[in-house]
Amino acid sequence: MELVGPLWRTLPWRPLAAAGALGLLVVGTPAATGAEPAPWQTLLLLRGAALAGALGLAFLLDDPARHLTGPVPTPRLLRQALRVALVAPLAALWWTAVLLLVPSASRPPAGEVSLEAVTAGAFALAAAALAVRLTDEARPGPLVAAALLVAAVLVPLLAPEDWALFVQADDPRWPAAHERWAVLAAALTAAAAGCGPEPLGRRAGR
Amino acid sequence: MSAVLTEEAAPVRAQLPDRGARAVLALARFEARKLLLTVPVVIAFVAYVAWIVWRTRSSWDGYPALQDVDRATQSMPMLVGLAVLLGAARAVVRSERHGTEHHFGVLVLRPWQRTAGHALSVAPAALLTAVCVAGQFGWEALKPGAVGHGSPAELAVGPLTVLGFGTLGVLLGRLTRSAFAAPLLVVVLLFVFVLGTGASEESGLSWLAPVVSVTGPDTLPSDLMGRPAAWHALYLAGAALCLAFLAMAFSGGRGAFVRTGLALSLAAAVTGGVLQARGVEPSPELTAARERASTHPDLRCTEHGGSTYCAFPEWGPRTGTWAGIVDRVQAVAGGAAHDQALVVRQRIDARYGPGTDTAIPASTERHRVTVGTAWGGNRIPEFSSAVAAVLVAGTEEAGSELCDGRMVTVMWLSLSWQDDPMGALRRVRLDDSVSGSAIVLSPTNPLSMTEGQTDVVRRLLENPPAGTGARVKKHWAELTAPGVTTAHVAEVLGVAKPEKADSCED
Repeated sequence: MELVGPLWRTLPWRPLAAAGALGLLVVGTPAATGAEPAPWQTLLLLRGAALAGALGLAFLLDDPARHLTGPVPTPRLLRQALRVALVAPLAALWWTAVLLLVPSASRPPAGEVSLEAVTAGAFALAAAALAVRLTDEARPGPLVAAALLVAAVLVPLLAPEDWALFVQADDPRWPAAHERWAVLAAALTAAAAGCGPEPLGRRAGR
Repeated sequence: MSAVLTEEAAPVRAQLPDRGARAVLALARFEARKLLLTVPVVIAFVAYVAWIVWRTRSSWDGYPALQDVDRATQSMPMLVGLAVLLGAARAVVRSERHGTEHHFGVLVLRPWQRTAGHALSVAPAALLTAVCVAGQFGWEALKPGAVGHGSPAELAVGPLTVLGFGTLGVLLGRLTRSAFAAPLLVVVLLFVFVLGTGASEESGLSWLAPVVSVTGPDTLPSDLMGRPAAWHALYLAGAALCLAFLAMAFSGGRGAFVRTGLALSLAAAVTGGVLQARGVEPSPELTAARERASTHPDLRCTEHGGSTYCAFPEWGPRTGTWAGIVDRVQAVAGGAAHDQALVVRQRIDARYGPGTDTAIPASTERHRVTVGTAWGGNRIPEFSSAVAAVLVAGTEEAGSELCDGRMVTVMWLSLSWQDDPMGALRRVRLDDSVSGSAIVLSPTNPLSMTEGQTDVVRRLLENPPAGTGARVKKHWAELTAPGVTTAHVAEVLGVAKPEKADSCED
């Protein structure tokens, strides 16, 4: 429990705050300018906000003191999980604010869009955990953010038709697509957890 | 001892400026290689090249107009530019993140010169984009069906966008010195420029975006485009350089070089920005030229096999292709229509500028066929239907009002000789159907087919009875007589009669 304080202090607050502010800015734009976006535009804004939030989470596992915290008795998976647990309530609050900021007239089903946002966040965390696991980099955030952006641009372009993810709310494929989102979210969470533990054995001798 | 020192120091000082430039270039080379090999940039270029290959193979149905092709090269480099922005910003903050900033203090390069090196390192990515753009444009231009002229200023937009985004990345890295600013800026830029959530109406302000794509279904002659492309290219170049010099100024460059560069690039950007905004509204001369091209166009006419083909000068090479279609339609026709001299005239409505969908009224002059500026794909059966309608009914106007058995003759002339008559029938009908009544597209007013006529035409095209071609020629007068019923036409041509009565009202 005494870990919570130091972890709280070492969380990458600046990227998180910047990403959160950007997300709110993105969805707040129509309200600020008095525009009435179409449903597809609102969905796009929400996805953009989710992307911005995920970009913030991409920096969550950055630990400048990584090479010092390596030998501490608390396992890395636990420390990483604690970081996520510390940020999760704030992220949930932020996402609620994002959902409330978009015009209610054109708001897509909240649960499904939230699932997409959770998946994006899980992707960022999984990529960060993978980068921490595979490299010696103390702060893989920018790398992960770049990967997330590349994925965000390429997946909608390259995803096969029968595995469509980025569909509109009035599309008949909407429920099927969100089953895929749920599968993805589960897989990514599992991957993030799987990458958590400090590797043992041969690699440790490096 | 001090004498020795001064002796050695003097030549070093004399060489410093030159060594600075060479060191900047060396840094730029190193950073450029590193930038081009970062994963997002590699992925962006691979995706860009794949997109070019995938798209250019079948774009414009093989008949591109180069004044449209040049604008089509503009949008994808933005994605490359975003990747370059990420990479450039990361490169600038790299030494800060790795704690090696102080090591650079002992080198010959001052901070602003290092920034200059980073800004220069973006140029090879822009050059590579230029190569891709040139490849895409060259490929289209080498297609046998290509017509028109591309604009170098429009082609420059893609590479300049990459340059501008790259220098923006350098400036961002210098200003924020944080690794998360660039990804967040990319999200904003994605929203504003790429996903099209920005301003949609065309105004002076919308031209401040790197790419202003106005695409419409109709191609205009290149001198009627009325896009301030050259000023826009100047604006983009000025803006990109201005960002680079700003980054140098923020990293402590106060010398004459940076000041002059900043002033000149700012002047270029402002000049380009103001003049392009002024060029958005068409000038009186341009409006007059568009009016003239729409009402009394200055066409160049050539003869092919007895018929006359009049086209805008840029479309001159295409008249032979049109003649090929007319010849094939006439080859199936009988009677006087077989050798009837036609006048095929190209018509456009340029009065509302590019990007508007305009309808061209049917011609009322006898034996005159209208053709548009686009060609290939669906345009071919549309044109052949217009030719057939003129051969059967006399004028386009009369052709669009056909509602008796002659419609079957028209569709037979138009489609029977095509490689895939049923596919052509499906594509030429507005609702892509091969049964029921439908509208048949043509370059001017559409024709209409009733359900009964569709049935007869489908039977004729799907499974033509032996000797249909000869019967069409033999009974030509009957088949093209006003008021002939569809049932009678079906009987003459040897296919089952339609179930539905023949009436245009159904």
